[in-house]
Amino acid sequence: MVSKRERERYRRQILLFGDDAQECLKKAHIFIAGAGGLGSPVAIYLAVAGVGTITIVDKDTVDLSNLNRQILHSDRDIGMKKTVSALETLREYNADITVNAIDATITADNALGLVGAADGIVDALDNYPARYLLNRVALEKNIPFFHGAIRGFYGQATTIIPEKTACLECIFPRAPPPEVFPVIGATAGVIGAVQANEVIKYLTGKGTLLAGRLFTWDGLCAAAEEIVIEKNPACPACGTAPASEQPREKKK
Amino acid sequence: MSVKVRFFAQFRELLGTDIMTEPAAGTSLTTLVAEIAKKNREGYEAIFDKQGSFREFVIVMRNGKRVETADAGTTPVMDGDEVAVFPPVAGG
Repeated sequence: MVSKRERERYRRQILLFGDDAQECLKKAHIFIAGAGGLGSPVAIYLAVAGVGTITIVDKDTVDLSNLNRQILHSDRDIGMKKTVSALETLREYNADITVNAIDATITADNALGLVGAADGIVDALDNYPARYLLNRVALEKNIPFFHGAIRGFYGQATTIIPEKTACLECIFPRAPPPEVFPVIGATAGVIGAVQANEVIKYLTGKGTLLAGRLFTWDGLCAAAEEIVIEKNPACPACGTAPASEQPREKKK
Repeated sequence: MSVKVRFFAQFRELLGTDIMTEPAAGTSLTTLVAEIAKKNREGYEAIFDKQGSFREFVIVMRNGKRVETADAGTTPVMDGDEVAVFPPVAGG
């Protein structure tokens, strides 16, 4: 039940979608992988929207050079674990929700356990190997994977629904080489807001998801475009081609 | 014939986008993209390796359908095609 206090806190969005949808948000558990550039706006917007349980995972410590974009953290947090700083910030934003902040590196051994019974995974990571791991966890648990990525003034996002849409490995089968990527905080804001919006739509059943569509944002010319994406029947992660039966159990 | 090439992300920063070309009949996807990319050395090297093949992570689509980069050298472009070339954006 949405309490009186909650009805007041969320009044302006209950106007949009009603008590029942607010209750859906309250009951939901969302897993956010990364408390950096994308993880910051995603976590803040999901927290203030009243997503009942947020698990956020990061292994890093707050560094001065993070602060141009990672708005969960500020000067006073330098040297602190990002999870500690994230927990404090999110509590300040909304003490009525539950936040689990876990200081861990996501690996093949712990990924399934970390995600636990979450209703969806938000990809706020900065590398493809960890994204591929969580993409497979999402497929295995049959929960959505909200992908986002940024570089410079440019970003992309898509919502992956197991069995219905292409998965991350269908779209990007091979990782690019690692780099120290340039980025402006506003790009993380645009893409993180798109991801948070997708999560809220998914949980409340409103609107049309970015399913099967790669949203691209070109901040230099302020243009949003989309690329239609299709499943790859031979995808090693989700493919249905005869060569890869039981693809989800393949990599152990 | 007329073919449009769209670049995304860092490829766009280096090479621009929505480039209209008039390739000769039989021009392959690889040749078409390489000819455009050659105008900017950094742009070319971001997309192609030293052998002149697409780097393994580059995504090439023709009219919304993915083309395996290994096949792009033998895939001729057709009049009215729209070709998209993009990298997996990785930062977060």
